[in-house]
Amino acid sequence: MANPTIKCLFSAAVLASAVLGGVKVTAAAPLQYNLQPQEIARDTWLLQGKTEDFSRKNGGNIVNTAFIVTKDGVVVFDTGPSFRYGRALRQAIASVTDKPVVHVFNSHHHPDHFLGNQAFQDSTIWSLPETGKQLALHGNGFTDNMYRLVGDWMRDTEMRLPDKPISEAMMSQGLEMGAHRLQFYRFSGHTGSDLVMLDKTTGVLFASDMLFFQRMLTTPHTPGLDIWRQELDKLKAMKYRKVVPGHGPVTEGSAAIDQMRDYLSWLDQRLKKSAEQGLEMVEVINLPVDERFKGISLSQAEYRRSVVHLYPAYEDAQF
Amino acid sequence: MKRLIRIGLIPLLLAGLSFPSAASQTDPQGSLMWDYMRKLFLNDDPYLFDERIKVLVPEFAEDPTQVPVSVDARALDGDIRQIIAWADFNPIQHIFTYRPLRDVHPRLSLRIKVQQATPIRAAVQTMDGTWHVGTAQIDAAGGGCTTPSVGNADPYWESHLGEISSRRFSRDFGSRYKFKVIHPMDTGLVDLIPEFYLQQVTLKDEAGNELLQMDLSQPVSENPVLTFDTKNSDQSHYLLLRDNNGNEFEQAL
Repeated sequence: MANPTIKCLFSAAVLASAVLGGVKVTAAAPLQYNLQPQEIARDTWLLQGKTEDFSRKNGGNIVNTAFIVTKDGVVVFDTGPSFRYGRALRQAIASVTDKPVVHVFNSHHHPDHFLGNQAFQDSTIWSLPETGKQLALHGNGFTDNMYRLVGDWMRDTEMRLPDKPISEAMMSQGLEMGAHRLQFYRFSGHTGSDLVMLDKTTGVLFASDMLFFQRMLTTPHTPGLDIWRQELDKLKAMKYRKVVPGHGPVTEGSAAIDQMRDYLSWLDQRLKKSAEQGLEMVEVINLPVDERFKGISLSQAEYRRSVVHLYPAYEDAQF
Repeated sequence: MKRLIRIGLIPLLLAGLSFPSAASQTDPQGSLMWDYMRKLFLNDDPYLFDERIKVLVPEFAEDPTQVPVSVDARALDGDIRQIIAWADFNPIQHIFTYRPLRDVHPRLSLRIKVQQATPIRAAVQTMDGTWHVGTAQIDAAGGGCTTPSVGNADPYWESHLGEISSRRFSRDFGSRYKFKVIHPMDTGLVDLIPEFYLQQVTLKDEAGNELLQMDLSQPVSENPVLTFDTKNSDQSHYLLLRDNNGNEFEQAL
């Protein structure tokens, strides 16, 4: 129970300070991300975002970012939705280690994963070659849209492209950083170019947005649900101890992969059957998601978006 | 204000109908454009907002160049002269005018371009001349009308212009026709690309009787996908289309 006396005193103090000098001031809540790094494995820290949609309240902090502290320096996996987030991420790193940030990876070209890049001027930022091309094409448009969605949290944010494409040699040989052996994998299910990183030393799999857990997946740039499903099978076959999804809580085992696969199969069937019956897009949008997905955050909202992204191809298949 | 009330009462009294209590002359969207649009499309005729006219759109225009819109006026079936649809805040507001003539359910679907968040209206004129207005709001990040058609970067349409794919679905109410036409539907609002769009759609039966006529405007999406519902499931039909350059396309469905 909150103590009402303390609460009243606090309010009085706030009011008093607000009318100081006879000028009434309406103070906006300070825009602070308050990132709290959680140690999920040895040397491995997670900044877990909310399982929400972008809003002016959350400042776009709906994404998981992570970093690994090695004796050769820090490796960062994704930089968050804004310059402000990138700076908060640097502070979170500095609260754990004084090692420099050497390598930064952008997992894919969605704005919540790369717009913190500006805070990493002194590091090398890497992405898959195709991600770099997608960013050059769409990155500024995504940035503008983020200003529309979350407002002042974005102040001073501009797209900073990755510095280098991950080379074939790095893809095949991986990267040694201190005692950590990092291996990279190229997937495509979520955006056509999705980077997955496995720390072979700790067994932590950084699955990026190939994996959502307890937060409904998004499909604006998927090359196809079947491709995504096949790649999830590959992900499931990999040897890992813990998996960090792009959105949602960390898990051991395959609960996250199984949940996604189940939904993708269900969605594929829903769209196929609807197209076979000649349903119009709005009719499909207005159908409910299956009961078993209702506990997943944003399931109905993301289902509706996915119908818009994917249904035209299912309709075309019926002509 | 007084005049508005009078306009509203006349049809109520003349027709002797009891409209649902939701019927009113106040724009549920409170759009600044309502009065201007009303005069433009409804000629100061008597009108009322009528919840029985369903305008179905998603809450947000995920792709502002392909926004699905369904209009369902079956509540007034048999008493409909025409349906006019428009988007208040599009640079070209008119979307379509639809005239059901025989054997069709007054329900149709298509996709449109939206330039920004806007109300979407469907005004249904009954035989007594009154307009029954259905309305919905769509939120959008914008830009659908001033984005070049995909076809402009890809010459595919030049060799496939007017190609019609169609499919008939058996439904409990009769048949549903869904068809897709290859056409750039250029709005004329993009640099140096003149307007080029399908203007007329006619659905006929084998005997040549017209089931419906439709006039389309530039906001209809590129490669239009249209859905019509017919009452008969045992007849064959054909479709006639004409664009603003005079190209005519015909397809047995």
